[in-house]
Amino acid sequence: MYKNSNSFITLMSGSKIFLQQVRALLAKDLKTEWRTREIFTSMFVFAVLVVVVFNFAIGADTELIRQVASGVIWIALSFASVLGFQRTGQMESEEDSLQGILLALHDRSALFIAKMLAQMLYLLIVVLCILPLCGVWFRIDFMTCIGELCATFTLGMLGLSIIGTFFGMIALRTRACEVMLPMLFLPVSIPLTIAAVQATTQLIDGKSLRDIADYLVLIGIFDIVFFFLVIIVFDYIVEE
Amino acid sequence: MVHLKGVIKHFGTITALRGIDLELKRGSCLGIFGPNGAGKTTLLRILATLVRPSAGTVSIAGYDVVKEGEKVRPLLGVLSHRTFLYGHLTGYENLQFYGRMFGLKKLAERITQVLQAVDLVTYAHQLVRTYSRGMQQRLAIARAILHYPKLLLLDEPYTGLDKHAVSRLHDLIVHLHAESCTVIMSTHDLHRGLDACDEIAIQCRGKIVYRGLSLGTNVQEFEQLYNAYVG
Amino acid sequence: MQKWWSIMFFLMIFPLIYLCINRVFHAIVMYITMNVAIMLVFIYAPTEKMQGIVQKIFYFHVSSAITMFFAFFLVCVASIMYLWKNSDWWDAIALSAAEIGVVFCTLVLITGPLWARPIWGTWWSWDPTLTLTLVLWLIYVAYLMLRIETYDPKRARFAAVLGIIGFVDVPLIRWSVEKWRTLHPKPVLIQEGGTTGLTSAMLLTFLVCLGAFLLLFFYLLRERISVAQSRHALEVLRHDIDEIGVG
Repeated sequence: MYKNSNSFITLMSGSKIFLQQVRALLAKDLKTEWRTREIFTSMFVFAVLVVVVFNFAIGADTELIRQVASGVIWIALSFASVLGFQRTGQMESEEDSLQGILLALHDRSALFIAKMLAQMLYLLIVVLCILPLCGVWFRIDFMTCIGELCATFTLGMLGLSIIGTFFGMIALRTRACEVMLPMLFLPVSIPLTIAAVQATTQLIDGKSLRDIADYLVLIGIFDIVFFFLVIIVFDYIVEE
Repeated sequence: MVHLKGVIKHFGTITALRGIDLELKRGSCLGIFGPNGAGKTTLLRILATLVRPSAGTVSIAGYDVVKEGEKVRPLLGVLSHRTFLYGHLTGYENLQFYGRMFGLKKLAERITQVLQAVDLVTYAHQLVRTYSRGMQQRLAIARAILHYPKLLLLDEPYTGLDKHAVSRLHDLIVHLHAESCTVIMSTHDLHRGLDACDEIAIQCRGKIVYRGLSLGTNVQEFEQLYNAYVG
Repeated sequence: MQKWWSIMFFLMIFPLIYLCINRVFHAIVMYITMNVAIMLVFIYAPTEKMQGIVQKIFYFHVSSAITMFFAFFLVCVASIMYLWKNSDWWDAIALSAAEIGVVFCTLVLITGPLWARPIWGTWWSWDPTLTLTLVLWLIYVAYLMLRIETYDPKRARFAAVLGIIGFVDVPLIRWSVEKWRTLHPKPVLIQEGGTTGLTSAMLLTFLVCLGAFLLLFFYLLRERISVAQSRHALEVLRHDIDEIGVG
């Protein structure tokens, strides 16, 4: 408990070495991703696959498709993000580099924050690529509410990244990690999914920011509560 | 410099260490010898703050490793079975990453310096995936000494190294020794270990069963001693 | 409000019983209370005017639900204590409470539809509490799977963390499901009215039933914890024997 209050204090005071370490970790992850483009490609392709299959499964009724569009997009993103979270954790288990990082880390939450930010970035890029495609396939004009949509997706992806990165590091140490990660992550993120899908549907239907404020507040609270909870317990996950 | 008192470690039902007492002065080089399963790796990992002891106290340079871990870690250089390196980055970038994590100043110069010490300057800008095992081990050594550690912990450092790399490592240890860096090394290699270290210890089944100086002990005598204790 | 306070107070008695009295006495008290509860439910409690005899499921359904929430709350508390004190006893409590909690959760999910079908005409109506129960079932089954599937010795820690996260999520899930449900059409009551409120006889029956369920929960908890501890002791012994064999 003493160590965890230390995390809080470091986080709050934004000490220089902490930020420098987060930057170094983030740079390393982004550099590796830029060279291999593994995470982004697998997430994007999988998301597209899910959207297309759903499209066929629902049928040709354009009105129906329009109504379920936001649900389909969020499901595609949730499932695709699972691939990213797994890969993020796996990167540190080759050559056990997690131990190397722990030796250099002043405060372990720097590792979590860097990984979470990297994941959030990849997810946002996937969203940027997939929205135009969905606009074309589902015949929805996202441009009318693009600002509010950005806010919703950013908050939503932040929440997914927090929970997903955390469970990704846990699931890595299980025998059936491809199965455990969705099992852990999807039920816990149900409030996020409900709120995000409702907000998106209402935005598509032409409602304004004021109407979806409730949902955004819910997502915001989800993000804040789990961010702090995860930071507190992260130490227990990584140390022996 | 290094004090261990009554250190015990359980992993679930397995007891890896059953009460280790060890003292080491600054600037000495200790070689820990022992069979597999003796707990040498566990001992080094406890010293490296990667594992918490179940009981006992460990202090390095006056800091308790459990309570003041953040103060201890910058002083340590760790070399382990795994290299802690990233395959998709170049050698230079790997060192740059660790340098930034430790907050080193004048990073570029220091990287060049350690690369020269391990003889990897020509390969610095190739991806680590393309390195041979020996080259990766050498880069790992460079990583371990990058931040001027006061205590170097080496777990089986000679595995995977060819003759050329072994002599380089030996020179490096001697050089660090001269700069009053403390070294603790665990190895199976009696000959090389004896050569490099000035103090020796034998660990067996979680306890230190012998502790002495290596000066004046030749290899055959030491082998007999080792067999006597380990059986 | 007053009813909640009395239920809270009522709930607090049971951990004390568990801690104070011995196993056999606990078993006898539980057995007696169970029998009394069943008699009260079927003989003493008046049949509800609107819903008929089906309403009697309410006693078992709501008792299971309250026991389930209590179990998961216990998992959360035990998980926090385990992370703090690092003692195996708290870990055993968390595991046992989670297992038994999942059992009661399943009971809620079975009795719910059985009650809903005659009243609402459909098996499942996405009622906020029932939906919350379904999500909790998913989370705590994942908890149990995590325990089994993890090969890392830190598995108790991972499970403890999930135990805390799962429970903290409860208010968020509840809030979001309620908001979501305002869009969902409520199924039409087949019979008019619905519950007419609890009479004092019904309240008494309910409290006795709740008491019986809680006694059952704590008895199962006690047994399960002792199994977990025996198992642990067995492993230690096994390992010691191996050691002697080698040495």
